[in-house]
Amino acid sequence: MLSQRLIGRAAVRSAFKPSGLPVVVSPRLRRTYATESGLFANIKSWFSSKDSGRLTVDVPVEEKDLVIIGGGVAGYVAAIKAGQEGLKVACIEKRGTLGGTCLNVGCIPSKSLLNNSHLYHQILHDSKHRGIEVGDVKLNLAQLMKAKDQSVSGLTKGVEFLLKKNGVEYIKGAGSFADEHTVNVKLNDGGETSVKGKNILIATGSEVTPFPGLEIDEKRVISSTGAIALEKVPEKMLVIGGGIIGLEMASVWSRLGAQVTVIEFLDQIGGPGMDLEVAKSIQKILKKQGINFKTGTKVVSGDKSGETVKLEVDSAKGGKPETLEGDVVLVAIGRRPYTEGLGLENIGLEKDERGRIIIDSEYRTKIPHIRCVGDVTFGPMLAHKAEEEAVAAIEYIKKGYGHVNYGCIPSVMYTFPEVAWVGQSEQELKKAGVPYKVGTFPFSANSRAKTNLDTEGMVKMIADPETDRLLGVHIIGPNAGEMIAEGTLALEYGASSEDIARTCHAHPTLAEAFKEAAMATYSKAIHF
Amino acid sequence: MASLTAACRISARMARQSLRGFRTSAAALAAQNFTMPALSPTMTEGSIATWRVKEGDKFSAGDVLLEIETDKATMDVEAQDDGIMVKIMQADGAKGVAVGTRIAVIAEDGDDISSLEIPADAAPQSKPAESAPSAPPPPTTADQSNVAVPESAPQKSSSKSVPKPPNRQYPHYPSVAHLLKVNGVDAAAVKDITPTGPGGRLLKGDVLAYLGKINAQTPATVSERFEKQSHLDLSNIKLAKSTEAIKATTEKAQSKKLDAPAPSPVAVVTAPISLSAVIEVQKKVHQAIGVFLPLSTFIARATEIANQKLPLPANYQPTADELFDQVLGLDKVKHKESRGSYTPTFGSFVAPQRAARKADIIDILAAPSKRAAPQIKSATPGLTTSGPNVFSLQVPKSEEKRAQAFLSKMKLVLEQEADKLVRA
Repeated sequence: MLSQRLIGRAAVRSAFKPSGLPVVVSPRLRRTYATESGLFANIKSWFSSKDSGRLTVDVPVEEKDLVIIGGGVAGYVAAIKAGQEGLKVACIEKRGTLGGTCLNVGCIPSKSLLNNSHLYHQILHDSKHRGIEVGDVKLNLAQLMKAKDQSVSGLTKGVEFLLKKNGVEYIKGAGSFADEHTVNVKLNDGGETSVKGKNILIATGSEVTPFPGLEIDEKRVISSTGAIALEKVPEKMLVIGGGIIGLEMASVWSRLGAQVTVIEFLDQIGGPGMDLEVAKSIQKILKKQGINFKTGTKVVSGDKSGETVKLEVDSAKGGKPETLEGDVVLVAIGRRPYTEGLGLENIGLEKDERGRIIIDSEYRTKIPHIRCVGDVTFGPMLAHKAEEEAVAAIEYIKKGYGHVNYGCIPSVMYTFPEVAWVGQSEQELKKAGVPYKVGTFPFSANSRAKTNLDTEGMVKMIADPETDRLLGVHIIGPNAGEMIAEGTLALEYGASSEDIARTCHAHPTLAEAFKEAAMATYSKAIHF
Repeated sequence: MASLTAACRISARMARQSLRGFRTSAAALAAQNFTMPALSPTMTEGSIATWRVKEGDKFSAGDVLLEIETDKATMDVEAQDDGIMVKIMQADGAKGVAVGTRIAVIAEDGDDISSLEIPADAAPQSKPAESAPSAPPPPTTADQSNVAVPESAPQKSSSKSVPKPPNRQYPHYPSVAHLLKVNGVDAAAVKDITPTGPGGRLLKGDVLAYLGKINAQTPATVSERFEKQSHLDLSNIKLAKSTEAIKATTEKAQSKKLDAPAPSPVAVVTAPISLSAVIEVQKKVHQAIGVFLPLSTFIARATEIANQKLPLPANYQPTADELFDQVLGLDKVKHKESRGSYTPTFGSFVAPQRAARKADIIDILAAPSKRAAPQIKSATPGLTTSGPNVFSLQVPKSEEKRAQAFLSKMKLVLEQEADKLVRA
């Protein structure tokens, strides 16, 4: 509907194909005809005079098959995939390193901190009864951060190598639309250039949503970016937002010695997607680990003028005002699409009320040769979702069909124990009035978990009561993030819980708990 | 009769073995039949392109034994185990050999082939005259019968003269296989069960519904729900409010469209534009500096120019800023114009598939726009694009004037100012 009014340039060209016009293109000027000779400089000056001087910079305009704005997970995956498909690709990224939020300041560095802080915490508090006596355990925060940075730089360089290997031109700079086919790039090294693309992919991602009235300085009021780079362990830390990012960072700093309080507006932690039973259970576990929770609480205002940062909080339903103090306040209330400086207004692209770029089911904007994937558009803001979309978008460009199954996108929270889920939660099904049956199996009844002395958590399966088709899987437990892959595969294939239960799982493994939960769903668990 | 059916079953097993490997335990000190393998699930027959081994040759696992041609491709058949080629039954070039038919006899590595007895052809291909079963079931059927069919199944399938290839080639899900076995559903009946799984897969619920154990509609209902969840929900998009006039222009029109239960009426605006001037310029450029500028470039540029400063659409609602300007009396200073984002579609008179548009053109010609003064110069011979082309735009009714203005600007640029694109 939106795209009907506009016909891309490809259509303009194809209309001429039957005419049999000879197309003799001078090889030297093939991709640069608009700039090099004096004759064409005239054209350009004529144009630029009418086009508010946008083309005045004297640089060659190259035409690519695909120009990608953003070198994050969506952007670089699209670039590699397009390179593999034989397209001529340019990828524009302004950060200076590839991988976007995920690799640089998100998923990857936080996992490094989570893993190492867990080891530290375990050596400190969970070694004696295992028969390991440890002497003086000390934290070297600088080295902890260095280990993180090494992981990050190794991975981002790896991505850069992959782009090179697949023949992608990597342009370091900030891209903005000049017109429907041209992207101007303000280069990081100074100067400007522009690239032309038959297709353009917007993959500019998202940024932290700021808390109104509390300016993020990344020192005392921090976002997730600052939370992975603190120079010393704060004594008291307040976390606004009990979603996945908030809880992961709360875990890291709580393990390293901070006294952490998480303030969440909703009555449950983990965000609205997490199953309620699971959310309650993990809250209990994390509380035991020393994290304080204030759920159903809203932050009214913040003040960072004093020695400590103060937050005025109130019960979400009103009535119990309170003042909280912390050395550091982490703002983790969510992320919002990032389109600043992209020049969407120059080509008339629209955003919805939450700032997401509007697309159709094939990731096309209303200008059909401009597509858009990842956090900057609809759907959950997850790296693996962006990756799937990037591949699908390239397949749409190259093959005319791509596929992402949005009903089968797993979510993982990397606390200890981890929480992972895929498909629908119990409260979602209840709300939709869909009948369901539930089977659970606790890790305390699993032999491997017992031997590991990590018996917290459970596997919960939800299936259709009549057909037994799997509707959702929710796991709390060590390695839940790995185990959810099996649930995702089962869901993708439309399996029933009986199918999982009849599939052999190795003994003794944590995965047996997965199988037993399936047995509990369609008949009865053996070991519980 | 009994021995014949037994033979059929052996042949089916052999056909599978030929894919999976020769078992040392299969026939001690006896040569084995090597049957035409099914190289794809849908393959029913194939031709032998060339044998890579001769009679008496030894081969080891991984050696290519022969090349088989199907209607789709030529494929190598590799030996799965070491062995000796005893006799080739179907020579090079044999066409249309059914899957499962004996094509050679092989023996195990180390066997003395001179003393070996050549086994009887288990596949009764050689006795077509008899009324007995004429072809063994293809291996894929054997696969399925292994899973779901009771012992008597081969008899059933062999009583049909031409076995149909099964429509589901992948193995059944564990729950499905179990249910089918427990309830004695035979292979033929499996085809009658409606699958509702992804990619037409048969699910536990489908079998339960077939057996009448659950509501017959439930699997389809559940499947529908999954289908819905597999897509992004793009149904209730609320457009962002913006203060920028340019954005507001397009967005307001769009959100109107989305809010209204029925889409706003659409107008088609067309104009005939001759490209002869452009082609002339194109030729001049080509002669002057040897560079061929494609027509699309001219049109893309003309589109860009024509999109500038278009009158506002009829239903244009001013933004908050503009309303404020009005209050201050500043609105008279600004032009009532904004940048458009149209891209025209077009076709030429000569293109036969566009012939239906002629009526439109006549309408337009009968009531030409103010600027219409087509300079149809002598057309370049041999070019079908020499005559006037119809440029058309499909726009909401409210933008009709805007689109008209766009097209007349387009016409002006392409017909009269085309040379400006090249010469200052």
